Amino acid sequence: MTTINNHPIVPMRLLIGAFILSGLAGCGAPEHTTTVDYDGDYPVEQGGSLVEATRGEPSGLIPMIAGESAASAVAANIFNSLLKYDKNLELEGELAKSWQVSPDQKTITFTLKPGLKWADGQPLTSADALFTWQLVTDDNTRTPYGADYKLVTKAEAPDPLTFRVTYPQPYAPALDSWAGLQILPEHLLKGQDINTTAFRRNPVGSHYYQLKEWRNGERITLTRNPNATQGQANIDQLVTRFIPDEASQFLELMANNIDSMALNPIQYARIFPARPDLNSKIGLYKELGNSYTYLGFNLKHKPFDDIRVRQAINYAIDKQELIDGVLLGLGEPVASPYKPGTRWTNPKLKPYPYDTAKAIDLLKAAGYEDHDGDGIVDKNGKPLSFEILTNQNKQREMSAVLIQRRLKEIGIDVTIRVLEWASFVGRYIKTGDFDVVLLGWSLSLDPDQFSIWHSSQQAPGQFNFIGYHNPRVDSLLERGRLELDPDKRMVIYHEFAEILLEDSPIVYLFAGYGLPAIHKRVKGIDNPAPPAGIGHNTYEWYIPRALRRNEISTQ
Amino acid sequence: MIRYLLKRLFWMIPMLIGISLISFFIMHLAPGDITTTEAGFNPKASEESRQKLRELYHLDEPVIVQYGLWLERMGKLDFGASFASHQRPVFWETKDDQGNVTKGLIQEALPITLLINVLSLGLIIAIALPLGVVSSLTQNQLPDRAITLFVFIGFAIPGFWLALLLMYWTGVVHDWLPISGLHSLHYDQLGFFGKIGDSLKHLALPVFISGLSGLAGISLFVRNGMLEVLHQDYITTARAKGLGENTVVYRHALRNALLPLITLLGLAIPGLIGGSVIAESIFAIPGMGKLFYDAVLMRDFPVIMGILTIGSALTLLGNLLADLAYAWADPRVRRGVMS
Amino acid sequence: MRRDLVIKALSNPLALVGFVIILGILVVATLAPYIAPYDPNAIDVKAILLEPSALHYMGTDGLGRDVFSRMLYGARISLLVGIVAVGIATAIGVVLGALAGYYRGWIDVVIMRMVDVMLSIPTFFLILAVIAFLTPSIWNIMIVIGLTSWMGVTRLVRAEFLSLREREFVMASQTLGAKDRRLIFKHLLPNSLTPIIVSSVLGVASAVLIESGLSFLGLGVQAPQASWGNILTDGKEYIQFAWWLSLFPGLAILITVLGYNLLGEGLRDALDPRSANKNK
Repeated sequence: MTTINNHPIVPMRLLIGAFILSGLAGCGAPEHTTTVDYDGDYPVEQGGSLVEATRGEPSGLIPMIAGESAASAVAANIFNSLLKYDKNLELEGELAKSWQVSPDQKTITFTLKPGLKWADGQPLTSADALFTWQLVTDDNTRTPYGADYKLVTKAEAPDPLTFRVTYPQPYAPALDSWAGLQILPEHLLKGQDINTTAFRRNPVGSHYYQLKEWRNGERITLTRNPNATQGQANIDQLVTRFIPDEASQFLELMANNIDSMALNPIQYARIFPARPDLNSKIGLYKELGNSYTYLGFNLKHKPFDDIRVRQAINYAIDKQELIDGVLLGLGEPVASPYKPGTRWTNPKLKPYPYDTAKAIDLLKAAGYEDHDGDGIVDKNGKPLSFEILTNQNKQREMSAVLIQRRLKEIGIDVTIRVLEWASFVGRYIKTGDFDVVLLGWSLSLDPDQFSIWHSSQQAPGQFNFIGYHNPRVDSLLERGRLELDPDKRMVIYHEFAEILLEDSPIVYLFAGYGLPAIHKRVKGIDNPAPPAGIGHNTYEWYIPRALRRNEISTQ
Repeated sequence: MIRYLLKRLFWMIPMLIGISLISFFIMHLAPGDITTTEAGFNPKASEESRQKLRELYHLDEPVIVQYGLWLERMGKLDFGASFASHQRPVFWETKDDQGNVTKGLIQEALPITLLINVLSLGLIIAIALPLGVVSSLTQNQLPDRAITLFVFIGFAIPGFWLALLLMYWTGVVHDWLPISGLHSLHYDQLGFFGKIGDSLKHLALPVFISGLSGLAGISLFVRNGMLEVLHQDYITTARAKGLGENTVVYRHALRNALLPLITLLGLAIPGLIGGSVIAESIFAIPGMGKLFYDAVLMRDFPVIMGILTIGSALTLLGNLLADLAYAWADPRVRRGVMS
Repeated sequence: MRRDLVIKALSNPLALVGFVIILGILVVATLAPYIAPYDPNAIDVKAILLEPSALHYMGTDGLGRDVFSRMLYGARISLLVGIVAVGIATAIGVVLGALAGYYRGWIDVVIMRMVDVMLSIPTFFLILAVIAFLTPSIWNIMIVIGLTSWMGVTRLVRAEFLSLREREFVMASQTLGAKDRRLIFKHLLPNSLTPIIVSSVLGVASAVLIESGLSFLGLGVQAPQASWGNILTDGKEYIQFAWWLSLFPGLAILITVLGYNLLGEGLRDALDPRSANKNK
């Protein structure tokens, strides 16, 4: 699923955690004085609690309805999908034991693992998968994620272990979409209004954990699911605390009250190196996220309909300066709209180099020169000036300011407007009332980007809000959806990325690293992070008894 | 007294209408109409919620009809369900067919905010009263000046800055107090007194921070009230009668200076109900302030309208009670009702 | 305002301190472009988060911008917000208060009910909602703060007018057939000026605080424009490390608000008839 990325770092399925809140004075010895050997070798053992923090409270725990990242992070521990991505981002079965694509590539048959159970002990069968498909495609279901599944013309569950879906024509992103649909229990949801059911705050799933307690406004506690379909996780409880302020979160991390949070580059590169006391108890990790930051032009507004102007701006922006300044070097340049290093990224493509001479030439070719000598280039008496809109996000604000200065050097006058997310989207993006935006895209693992770049996706509220329209790209995107052979698909998307770079409807700025900090009492973490990220094996993480503190019996 | 009460009750009607007008006006302040400001990025969901909003507020009717219907719903305390939190009722709990109770958002948030603010009000009075008295007795001398300076610093210091510094000091450097939240993770395993202690520890900083800024108002009020009373004839008479200075100050002056404080406390009620958005978000407290702030960010109109209206109505009620208490304590007020 | 009152107020050491603080900040804000060693928005990615030094008196922020220069320009924004917001509030308050106090009767009743209604709505909520819907900008912030803080002035002016109307000189001019307008502008208003000024001075202090609170919530003056509120908010995540990012704006707000309060309270004390017969 493609989403507009509101937060700079959204680690995928990252279950970052911490420990039992122990900040109470008089409740055992103060921890600061006890020396614990966090770096020793400890055998794997079960038990303990992980505490993480999130800024917002989920609105509910049915992921297809809730939609926000806080909800999906929690729900990912409760529900299973038919398929999942392994640590190397290859698809493998989760609830499905195997799957088969028919020779005409229009039908996918999933065979479920035998003996699956819901947390309440009821059997989990293909009927649940069918029910979930019916839910997500039902017009009464208030979900933004229905489109992929509505392409299915026939879905059937001929026997408890078989689930079969048929598409009118081959649909390449299909498997990815089935890795994204979490299966819901029919026996608990049948006949209920999915939008308002009590189940959304009291879910029953099949994954490692089940809901234990939801304290409104405070935290959600998950506890191990004895009927888990994927085996037993090591850690007993996952606690998600709602702490809206990031400064408070960081204080909680320093005080050992939460064990994990996503750091920003300054915390990672400046604060931690200067604080050995923090380094001794908190481990820092680095993973390439699934998102990139870009500068997008409103192609329906002059002068951004002129490719030369777009390219000139692209040449005038120093991407390395952005990476060094905004990310303190903790990021990578991007030249195609895919995660760097994956097969969909065209290795031949390089970002536009920083070249002001070329930029000025292109502007001149487009008719922009400084005729009146005021330092701002103009055409027909109209100076080239515009507003960069971005939302409240430190990295984006910083990028905008750096870009503003670079564009000034080639005679473009830029103002910056920073808006809070709701007015940004509601007032400007949906209405198309903007010149240039500075935003980020979070990407799915499937290379299909129909919804972002296809010319049919420009209605208000749809993702192609910059109004990109290129018949060649349209046809490549359409072909890419029909092609199931990964190698042939790769060729298609490499070509797509090449056209996109040339066309420059957006300027790729950078892809930042996710910078999770995790308390060192948590063991079993894969470091360095595999392509799937640091959180790919959270069920294998464990907390040695010796490193647990003030553990209070959960019973 | 009854006459006074009836008069006051009568006056609440136009005030409630005024409140309904203001909240109605705010709803229509959003550019376009409120349905275009929905925060999500979801063509389908936004079309749906747009339709819901249209129905809820009858946006297709003429403005005057819309207002009438809004007034009617206000009267029934029906504020609908929140969009952002998936149909949780805004004000009070509802029960569905299966008997599942869904708690109202305000129902849960209001007690938390009230608790914090009542505690901080208590703290303010406990500190400001002696400060104000000392200040008045040492008018323009060193203690008076020092107290004035101190309470003003309390007012002037940006609360969130001080809060973060204190959180660092008491929670990270020392392990004295929890940093944020309302309950420890093991709260449920604690005994009765353990629970109270745990809650108090969590509330200590938020109460202190929200109390600090209110210190100046009350202590100056007490100081000036005392000064006024101390210069009045009956005090002079009392002094002339040879009553001890302590008796004069505490028996006569203080009592009379405190009377107007009741009204002042009435005026503090919006703050009590409104809580502090900033303190609640920094301390991760799910009170009214945080609820309102989240609603504003999500453009969750039913919640915004519900809080504004209920908050104001409760304030009116509180003011009424304060005035009644004052009238009861000071018969002179009863006569000149609305002047 | 009578000169002897000013002198009297400033003989109060605290008020004098407040006066000096405000004067100093006004001077600094006015001269910001001449004092500031750097362009407040100039970025230097090689100088991120530098500690205070001879090069950068107050260090640099996360973008390598000079905090001292930003503080100077921020003073302008913070004071502008305070003064314009209070200007709006005072204008509304004086008009409504004068109407209510002069004409009394039903006008008075209506206006005072409006005051009560506004006072019953949690003000900060009102400000939040309105600013979010109008999208935050420095102008919207000033207008909204102004529109939600006129009630105090209204009450004050009304009370002054009510009492002044009973005074002999006003009665005298009235019997001499003076027009309403002449009475209001010639006699009543000038004599109510002192309390209005006092409340305005105190109002600026609140407005500066409200702006910093809005900045904390992300609804204040928006980047890249510097206000003390958003410099402080920028620094809050590094409060224990890059202490200079929060200490200086925090102190600036503290001192400014303190200054206005001390001056305002000193003035109030000085013009208060009660303090005339001090118990010395």
